[in-house]
Amino acid sequence: MNKYLEYQKENRIIRKISSKFKVEVSIQRKRRVWVAVSKKDLVEISNFIKGIGFKHLSAISVTDLIKEKNYELTYHVWSYQDNTLLTIKTRINRDKPTIDSVVSIWEDNAQIHERELHELFGVEFKNNPNLTPLFLEDWNNTPPFRKDFNWRDYVRDEFYNKENKREEPYWDAPL
Amino acid sequence: MNPNYNTTERELEYSLPFGPAHPGPGNFAVKLRLDGEKVVSAKADPGYLHRGFEKLMEYRTPIQNAVLSDRICVFEPLNWNLVHAQAVDELMDWNVPERAKYIRVVMVELSRIQSHIIWYGSMSKAIGFDTGFKLAFGYRDYILDLFENITGGRVYPAGYICPGGVRKDLGKNMPEKIRKTLNKINDMLSKFEKFDNLSILVRTKGVGILPLKKAIQLGATGPVLRASGLKTDIRKDDPYEIYSKLDFDIPTEKLGDSYSRLLILRREVRESIKIINQALNNMPKGNVIIPSLNSGTHINLPKGEVYVRNECSRGEGAMYMVGDGTEKPYRCKIRGPSLLHQIPVLEYLLKGSQIADVPAIYWSLNPCPADMDR
Amino acid sequence: MIINNVKGSKKMSSQILKTIVELLKNLFQKPMTVKFPHESIPIPGGYRGEHGFDIDKCRSCGLCANICPNKAIKMVKAPEEYGEKYPRLYPQIDLGKCCFCGLCQDVCPTKAIKLTKNVFLSTFDSKEVIKNPVPKK
Repeated sequence: MNKYLEYQKENRIIRKISSKFKVEVSIQRKRRVWVAVSKKDLVEISNFIKGIGFKHLSAISVTDLIKEKNYELTYHVWSYQDNTLLTIKTRINRDKPTIDSVVSIWEDNAQIHERELHELFGVEFKNNPNLTPLFLEDWNNTPPFRKDFNWRDYVRDEFYNKENKREEPYWDAPL
Repeated sequence: MNPNYNTTERELEYSLPFGPAHPGPGNFAVKLRLDGEKVVSAKADPGYLHRGFEKLMEYRTPIQNAVLSDRICVFEPLNWNLVHAQAVDELMDWNVPERAKYIRVVMVELSRIQSHIIWYGSMSKAIGFDTGFKLAFGYRDYILDLFENITGGRVYPAGYICPGGVRKDLGKNMPEKIRKTLNKINDMLSKFEKFDNLSILVRTKGVGILPLKKAIQLGATGPVLRASGLKTDIRKDDPYEIYSKLDFDIPTEKLGDSYSRLLILRREVRESIKIINQALNNMPKGNVIIPSLNSGTHINLPKGEVYVRNECSRGEGAMYMVGDGTEKPYRCKIRGPSLLHQIPVLEYLLKGSQIADVPAIYWSLNPCPADMDR
Repeated sequence: MIINNVKGSKKMSSQILKTIVELLKNLFQKPMTVKFPHESIPIPGGYRGEHGFDIDKCRSCGLCANICPNKAIKMVKAPEEYGEKYPRLYPQIDLGKCCFCGLCQDVCPTKAIKLTKNVFLSTFDSKEVIKNPVPKK
């Protein structure tokens, strides 16, 4: 009974979402609710939660799960009315990562985050108006933040000088 | 000019880089297209300070990451130390001692005052008001002397706020020294209020207006959002550490132009002084770090994920950390406030303005290229 | 127009008065800066400067080399003239890579590495950048 009184706001939000969609929800602590959805329902659910007050998109992030051959996308959204943070998680294939963009819902805020993730992880966001590179220039290799990109070998081959004794600690040291 | 000469509008436009020079916009470039003196469009060009922080943090243990986390933004290193320390504390689910929480709040508020003083100094220099710039950086040195005594370094505290508490206790006479420095900061604020002369007003009033609806849609947070009219502060809405026990106010303005942001800067420094005085008066005695933890202890991050939000001096700074059972984090995503302020908000505000207003608009958003590029 | 001018001139004259008062107050105060290197402000204790190493206390455990975030410490044999008295491995510090964080000082179990207050480390000779482990004189 105590837990029910403590998490009243969070339970209300969960009830509103579960009545319309089939999702898995969990409450981590006060003001933190986590929801797992499937890839095709993402845009519909995002539209719905923007309607119930979640107007501020805080961040979009990609985690590279190399053992399960998936990318996990997380969308962190904050509501100024209810003072709660809702996180939406989906999974997409790692070898051909494509997903629909949420630019139609959270507009310029989402467009910048997706542009950064396209450059660093290689995710294709359909309907995003501008996916030109943001930070790196003339980069032709694999996207650098993936777990199978060996940055130590790349830096050693491109920039290091084997005759310089001061660079020795880095050759065989464990990562 | 011959009136029969046939030219189109586009041929009379020219490009001007508001470029990556240090006594200008910092390590950040904006490509402006101008028609005479009016800006037609602006395109941001980030990436001059990209160091790959999120990947660097995946190869280091939490105590080594604490040293790395103060280089995320050079103007406010203690605030980012706190974001990283809170992320690890919440993942490990341990109890930080009370005295450590009070010391953390005092250090973070001092760092916020110091960062606002840099904001005032750089904005004065961009407008052309050199006296304000020199006074601001002179008074900032008193706070850096305090940091030198407490943490051992003027600008970079090398992970002073670490997972589990803080690394060292405050010295013996430190509370009196902090109160003396705060009196000097009060003097500085009264001097700034006397300087509100006609030249500052003419250059900043009515310039760079950001309406509230557009501000939420473009993702602005922190003082920029409060200047446009929304009364919100993460220290009150989503409290962390001991902020729920302290009593302070949230300054807001309605218009959303550069002058309102300047007014909010001064009022926020006064609120921070109030917070520090309350924290110093009520500080308990005890340990400053969890007793079983020292630098050589082996910490294993459990499986789980956590999202921590903090009110940095520029806006909302957040970190998303995923642990997987080993001693190094699996993924560490950093969300800086300046990424949203410098690309969508700046491009919206610069469109249609005059070229002489470009520095006044740019510096009133309090940009930090370091936490945009990471 | 006339009213605006009168208001404007009143504001200007009160501002000029305020500026003159502020000027006279600050004319006889000490400046905020000092003329370095003729005078200098003393550095407080606990400042993180150059490393001081006591070779008699060192146990060769290697904890300092493991914890350094920039891999600036490497365990090497002592230089040849001291090889007989000190046969084990000792830390060699590369001051160019060091970020002066003090983690090696915190983790050392015998307090053999301690950070001193010496911050004047710039040099023209590249051999001085690497500190070899030698006994103090």
